[in-house]
Amino acid sequence: MLITYTRTITVLTKRNHVSRRSIERLDFLLLILETIDLNGIQSIHAISNKLNLNNVLPNKVTIWKLRNNNPLRKSYRNNNIKLNEFDALIKITVEMSKYLYPYIRNILQSKEELTKNSVIWNDFNNRLIELIKERFNLDSIRVRKLLNQTENDEIIIKSLLILSFCISNQGYQKLKNLIFDF
Amino acid sequence: MMQNKISFHQSSVSLEIIGLPDYSNNENKDQISIISQWKLIIIDKPLIEGKIEHLGPIMDAFYIYSNLLIKNEIPIYESKLINIKADNLHIHNIVLKSSKPNVNPLIFKIGNSLLSDIINCFDQLSESSKVRIKKTGLFNKMPKKVRFGLNNKVKFFDLIMPPFIAICSLILCSYAFIYFYNTVEDKEKNELINPK
Repeated sequence: MLITYTRTITVLTKRNHVSRRSIERLDFLLLILETIDLNGIQSIHAISNKLNLNNVLPNKVTIWKLRNNNPLRKSYRNNNIKLNEFDALIKITVEMSKYLYPYIRNILQSKEELTKNSVIWNDFNNRLIELIKERFNLDSIRVRKLLNQTENDEIIIKSLLILSFCISNQGYQKLKNLIFDF
Repeated sequence: MMQNKISFHQSSVSLEIIGLPDYSNNENKDQISIISQWKLIIIDKPLIEGKIEHLGPIMDAFYIYSNLLIKNEIPIYESKLINIKADNLHIHNIVLKSSKPNVNPLIFKIGNSLLSDIINCFDQLSESSKVRIKKTGLFNKMPKKVRFGLNNKVKFFDLIMPPFIAICSLILCSYAFIYFYNTVEDKEKNELINPK
């Protein structure tokens, strides 16, 4: 009974506010894109300008503040991210995935034939771990799982697949469905 | 009559659609509404081709399988036409069964990179204004759990059950208190207060 009731509350709150799990997922996807694009923060801001999202995301600090709604972050602040702000971040993620698709594909491919191209995967994984250590709360069990190279493969591969499946014109809707649906 | 050919490309995968426009609908001459043949060309893999009736089920198969793959469910899809099963996290085993008798099934493996190329080619086809394909009812064929998530709607059962259970428990509790109320004791008390 209690589970049903809790689920109802969670589903209902989804309509107006964004759940913690959803922002956690989206922030991790953005972190993966930042791992691939060394100038990631600048690119995110440039794409935000390109998509005319200046009224929602006027500067880099706003983006940083919104991403701090991720409970896994060291600098976690519950700012109650609004749906339009969350949508803007989804649009940026999709647009950035389009640009970075060849690299995402290369990383996925390098893991398929680990003996041939292990350098690409290892470089990507090491940089991602560095970024996680820099920004995420290392006391969290889930963050520790992300840092464990034997356990994090599945999470990273699935996240890369999500990004690579959402590069079409309908990518925004696809990614939104996937983020809310896990 | 010359047939139109429209191709969709994504890295190592190309999807070719061959067919004719529907002139009875006053369609443009470079459009395709009547698909006579399609080809899925994957570099270093066997050619996959078929008729219009095969295209929908194959697209559905790849979409449903990719959904299962990223949603922490068991990635396996089986149908009369195609089976897709994960060998491991990176390699997927595909079995294409021919509709013609005495033709052995085509078996090959693809990695995640080719899988995402294929999905993106199908996405381009679905979004193309030049090719008209009938909606295959992908969402109806999906398992209930997946369908719920994609629509992102509130389940009727989830909405009604909590208040219903709350009212029931309130009624049950009230009944329990009725049994605690002892009328004999109450009469005795009244007699003590009013001895007459």
